[in-house]
Amino acid sequence: MSGFLQIQAIEKRWRDGVTVGPVSLDIAQGEILALLGPSGSGKTTMLRLLAGFETADGGRVAVAGEDVTAVPPAQRRFGMVFQHYALFPHLDVGENVGFGLPNSPDKGAKIAAALALVDLAGYEKRKVHELSGGQQQRVALARALAPEPRVLLLDEPLSNLDPALRERTRHELREVIKRVGITTLFVTHEQEEAFDLGDRIAVINQGRLEQVGAPDELYEHPVNLFVATFVGRANVFRGKAARALGGGANGNGVLVVRPERLRFAGAGLPGVVRERRYIGAAAFFVVEDDEHERFEVLAEPDAAKLGERVYVEATRVIAL
Amino acid sequence: MLLLAWLVIYPIVIVGAEAAHPTALRDFLTRPGEWAALWASVWISLVSVILAAAIGIPLAFLFEWFDFPGRKTLGALIALPVVLPPLVGVIAFLFLYGESGFVARAIQALLHLQNAPWRLQGAAAILLVHAYSMYVYFYLFTRAGLAKLDVSMLEAAQALGADRRATLWRVIVPLLRPSLVGAAMLTFMTALGSFSAPYIFGGGFRVMTTQIVATKLNGDLPLAMVETVALALVAVAGLVILRRTEGDDILVALGKGIAPRPRPIQRAGVRRLATIAGWALAVLLLLPHLTLILVSLVPYGAWTTEILPPVINLDNYRRLFSEPERLRPMWNSLWMASVSTAVAVALALAGGWLVVRRRVALRRAIEALLALPWALPGTVFAIALAITFSVDAPLQLRFVLVGTAVILPLAYLVRALPLTGRGILAAYRQLDPSLEEAAASLGAGRWRTLTRVTLPQLRPGLAAGASLAFVAGLGDIVASIVLYTYETRPVSIEILSSLRLAETGVAAAFGVVLMLVSAVVLGVGARR
Repeated sequence: MSGFLQIQAIEKRWRDGVTVGPVSLDIAQGEILALLGPSGSGKTTMLRLLAGFETADGGRVAVAGEDVTAVPPAQRRFGMVFQHYALFPHLDVGENVGFGLPNSPDKGAKIAAALALVDLAGYEKRKVHELSGGQQQRVALARALAPEPRVLLLDEPLSNLDPALRERTRHELREVIKRVGITTLFVTHEQEEAFDLGDRIAVINQGRLEQVGAPDELYEHPVNLFVATFVGRANVFRGKAARALGGGANGNGVLVVRPERLRFAGAGLPGVVRERRYIGAAAFFVVEDDEHERFEVLAEPDAAKLGERVYVEATRVIAL
Repeated sequence: MLLLAWLVIYPIVIVGAEAAHPTALRDFLTRPGEWAALWASVWISLVSVILAAAIGIPLAFLFEWFDFPGRKTLGALIALPVVLPPLVGVIAFLFLYGESGFVARAIQALLHLQNAPWRLQGAAAILLVHAYSMYVYFYLFTRAGLAKLDVSMLEAAQALGADRRATLWRVIVPLLRPSLVGAAMLTFMTALGSFSAPYIFGGGFRVMTTQIVATKLNGDLPLAMVETVALALVAVAGLVILRRTEGDDILVALGKGIAPRPRPIQRAGVRRLATIAGWALAVLLLLPHLTLILVSLVPYGAWTTEILPPVINLDNYRRLFSEPERLRPMWNSLWMASVSTAVAVALALAGGWLVVRRRVALRRAIEALLALPWALPGTVFAIALAITFSVDAPLQLRFVLVGTAVILPLAYLVRALPLTGRGILAAYRQLDPSLEEAAASLGAGRWRTLTRVTLPQLRPGLAAGASLAFVAGLGDIVASIVLYTYETRPVSIEILSSLRLAETGVAAAFGVVLMLVSAVVLGVGARR
């Protein structure tokens, strides 16, 4: 597969011995790729390497077959939305959006179009600090999109918004990006955000790429324990417990089971219900097995009682 | 970088080296007058700090925490002494409280006295001027510190059971300490380097700055150098001691809360009292300015023994602007201050860029170079430049500049560097690096990023630093009196010679012009 944006063994070696990469990724035209990882995993460094703010110590980046590894940020034509937006405080909204546009008769029309795209038509003369956080985020997006970049990069685009606003903005963001059809990479540490926004997700940990794939692929077929536990809730079983749930035949005997893939039954892994967390439609039951290992079962709210002796079986397991 | 070192460090080194002159050293050590002057400098400075603090800190609390009629207007008026260049402030005091000033005349007429009731001379007069002009530092620093205080911290202290006094001493004062120490340092250094007040009012009472200039004018250069080094050492010692009490200023940066809102004074009587006291204070603060304006309107020889002047017209201003010989110093001061400010801004920009953008090993050195002229009294640099640039030795990078038109702007430049440097360095530090990255990602090249993003962000700090530097150059007397020539004489020198000729009106008119220009420039510089 040869993608529109090709990242080949790109690598950054920091002075204190921390290394990010080598990472290789192919991203198709119009695809949204999420870089998901815990803080300090190197995902922001990856984004900055792509933008050209950091120089790579190895590897190359190509867009539509053109090698841009050594192209300075100003000539790279990659749009970027910064975590804190980095709107110019001394310019108004229109001047911010028009910053990357050449002076031409239709500049005003382009600014208006970019603002209309993010649903802020007529906001040209507003001061940046008069806007709410969500509006600032949209101005930042309009500014990045206005010069019609080849690739859009977003650094934790929703982390500055309050949770209530985040979910709505997430959908609007995806809609705008898909309408423009731009190839997009964004960084996040939230699994839900990555699932919701990304076509594919690249999981990064300690500077290395762990797995790339569609959300359900990562969830159902994680390649290792890190991906299994970082993406979604997961119970990890080893040894006797793993065998009781029907695993242990292949791999190194480690079994990962999602809470919703466990259920109470007449036989299987025995344990005692220690906690019950009611979430409305269902409840999480924390069960302690005979080796005092705890795990979670998602079931009907009245499936079991506190202190009850239960047996648990798995409907689907991931063997690692 | 090298230019900075050549301008700032090199002259000091030369003076230090040449001061090691055995006879001059012996002279200095054995003459009691020298020790007396040094001691006078130190105690005058310390008392100035105490007086300025005693006036400035309570005022700051009053204006920051309490609300009463006229609070806003008065709060702005109270910083007025800043627009008076040192020499102009001193002559205003002379006209107001001097032995033939208004107040003395009024009392003399009232009580039918034969002679003036007092003579404005000696240490008390110097301290009076210092207290008037330097309390502003404490006032502004304390207000800034109070404005940064997080109200939730005060509430936390109260919730933990601290009463008002405990809150003041255990929370507010420790948090204000960096501001207070900063003000104390500034006051101490200004008082130590103060020249105009001791020069005009000192009489037989000598402090080190006047002593140095007197020695230099007597032609005893080696001794002047030893005195210069002694004064510099005192200044450095003072700074080191104060620095030690400063502590970490990280303390303040912790919370990003809201400052307490000014509380209205509830009791009507107290409020009326506060209002009256406030306005009385404003009048007291404004009197020197008003006096200066009045005196500038009195033509030469028209005012002898009356309490109020019998004639008032614009004669002095007409002479000022029509006689080329009087217009000249005005132009001199303006162009020299402009050039030195422009160069100081350029150097500070370059230095700031090096310090913040490039993590060069020399950054501490650059910061120190930009700040050093602030830490040493102006007289020290004036003498150092006079010595260094009166010898023709190109191989040692020494040229004869004394007596040319270059030396005064150069001296102003050295004095201006800390002012522009501090403003611009602070602005650079606050600059969000992602703004420049955002510009780059939008296709802006280096030049466009600099002019459209970086410089506009730096503008407030730049304007503040530049306006302070310009006003300092405009009103300078310390360097001027050592280095001027007749051709390049600045306004301050012209004021002194007018005073010597008893042309008080002309001197006052010059003072008013300086005051107005300073006020306009500072006003523009402070605008956001």
